[in-house]
Amino acid sequence: MRRGRAAALEGGSSSGDRPQRRAEASAARRGTRRRGGRRWLALALLVWSIAAGGCSSGPRPLTLVLAVLPGELASYREVVSAFEREEGRRVLVVAQQYADIRRALAAEAAAGGGGIDLAELDVYSLAAAARTVRRLDPAGPLAPTIAALEPETVRAGTIDGLRFLPHRISWQALVYDREALGRPPETWEDLVRVARRFPGRIGLKGASYEGCTCDVLPFVWAAGGSGERFDDAGARAAFRLFAEIAPYLAPESATFKESTIAEAMARGEIVLHLNWPFAMKLYRSQGLAPERIRSAALPRGPKGRATVLGGGFLGIPLHAPDPAGAERLLAFLLSRDVQRRLAARLGWFSARRDVSPPAEGGLLAGFEAMKAEVRPRPERADYPLLSRLWQRAFRAVVFGRVPPERALAEAQAAFEQARASREGARP
Amino acid sequence: MRRGAGGLLSLPLVAYLAAFLAFPMAFALGLAFTDPVTGAFPSLASFRAIGGDALFWRALALNALVPALSVALEVAAALALALLLSERIPGRLLVRAAVVLPFALPEIVFLTILRSVLAPRGYANGLLAALGLPALGFLAPGSPLAVASVIVVDAWRTTPVVFLIVLGALAAIPEEIDDAARLDGARGWRRFRYVTLPLLRPALVAAVLLRGLDALRLFAAPLVLAGVEGVPVLSTYAYHQWSDYGDDAAAAAAAVVLAFLAVAASLPLLRRGVEQAA
Repeated sequence: MRRGRAAALEGGSSSGDRPQRRAEASAARRGTRRRGGRRWLALALLVWSIAAGGCSSGPRPLTLVLAVLPGELASYREVVSAFEREEGRRVLVVAQQYADIRRALAAEAAAGGGGIDLAELDVYSLAAAARTVRRLDPAGPLAPTIAALEPETVRAGTIDGLRFLPHRISWQALVYDREALGRPPETWEDLVRVARRFPGRIGLKGASYEGCTCDVLPFVWAAGGSGERFDDAGARAAFRLFAEIAPYLAPESATFKESTIAEAMARGEIVLHLNWPFAMKLYRSQGLAPERIRSAALPRGPKGRATVLGGGFLGIPLHAPDPAGAERLLAFLLSRDVQRRLAARLGWFSARRDVSPPAEGGLLAGFEAMKAEVRPRPERADYPLLSRLWQRAFRAVVFGRVPPERALAEAQAAFEQARASREGARP
Repeated sequence: MRRGAGGLLSLPLVAYLAAFLAFPMAFALGLAFTDPVTGAFPSLASFRAIGGDALFWRALALNALVPALSVALEVAAALALALLLSERIPGRLLVRAAVVLPFALPEIVFLTILRSVLAPRGYANGLLAALGLPALGFLAPGSPLAVASVIVVDAWRTTPVVFLIVLGALAAIPEEIDDAARLDGARGWRRFRYVTLPLLRPALVAAVLLRGLDALRLFAAPLVLAGVEGVPVLSTYAYHQWSDYGDDAAAAAAAVVLAFLAVAASLPLLRRGVEQAA
């Protein structure tokens, strides 16, 4: 080929060589054409393969967006693969943070279209996101699933009709240093004694965020408060307790969040705090649990015990591309077999009454002990405002040393004033 | 024809700037001046809301104090290090590498290490205990010591930037000038004060300009070390409104205040820089 081409390029000088050179030139042109032809063929194949991939005749994949940890994703995908086999279609599992999922749902709702079929949100943001998801029919194909769920959890997902169903639930328990304390405080009086014995080593999540409310409400409820009023007897009793233990709290409590308080406990800076089950799994991975660090029920208040319901709830976006497929996926994910597998593989707590808590060898004993005491946060549209005011009152009492009665009265007044002005301002 | 081709070639850049700079800025401004409840525009509702929050005012005050002290500290440290390491001392290259190391590490790695060092039961207090000294609350929320810790850590991490600028400027000073100063009897402090420092001034002004503006958008150091309430600055306050409360409008309002602060601070600095250059 190279020879032929070179000959063709050389040109002719003697007439005797001409036919041969012409033949060689012609062969070279054919070779060039053949190579050009191959290139065109390769390009055409590429275009065809892209087009074929883009216009695949198989069913469109379902898109499921949820807040799983990177370490959980592989196990979760494996569980979902059974649905893919049953339906003969793929499920795209997209791991995202709850805040981003909520914003994505809001954006799709505003745009009037989108690509998410099923989305998971945390309990806290259900009310804010309710208008971005469809209403579920409690009497439709999901009825048997709904009947198997804890009624409290279904209530938490009911905001102007049933909108969300619990994918996994969670709640807080007491996490304590067994080596330091021996046994956990069982009552509020015990808690005060422990605080006095270990000054500066009691932790509460006091940063201005929802986690602070999750530490405050269990005490308010355990004293008989509603959690919806700042001036009832339960709120006053709980805040008097906070004022009593405030001098003994770790100063870092003012900025503690779930992860930072868990780290402080691992370093031995604090001897007890409230946290979610992830903390115990973290301590086990660090070799700190269950020997040194254990979980226990929250201290009993004057009216018993309580803890806040948390977890991830699933909803079908308003403009989901395939709502029927999403509903089938939802039913699959909440089925007994799948919930059992998620409990066994990922240690998730199920909202189904027929699925036992994950067997973690006593690691989550405190969480199991609190199961009957789980309560949803106040279900009301102005909950974010209520929550912020609980945080503000708590911080005023604990870090600002404001008398409890005054802080609570100010919170109640601010709540009523804000509600009145919002009502007046709403178009 | 040529101008047309140039315009065409700059289109991707214009599109990029419009999509990733102009649009987000306009969107943030719109968000900040929209009432989140009624949707009315223009409205100062979000500015009124953050104005009623004591944390915002602390963030505003610290957003002026922390960058100013941090930049002052790093300029002093960088100048001292550059003067020391421009001399022919043994192990000079190794020390230079050690000085630049904090900047070479990913910021989150550097800050996480420092948080472990400065925690109540961290290495710093371990050292104090070994020396028989009482523990210090290096990161105690709201304390002056926590503010000082953030300033020192931030200055430590960014000193290499100023150090490299000053070191380059030192290397550019002609040896003849040094020799002439020496012949004239200028030594030590006098040589530094009347010869070296005036020649370094353009480089120092450039370093202060660069770092001064950069320091205003301080974010990771106060957030990782002390938390939002511990040592609040405007960027962490905006992040707190966005991530903890989902209040995009309040976050945008705080970001607008920070942008205004940056523009207001940059104008005199830029003017001074232009004068120096002239």
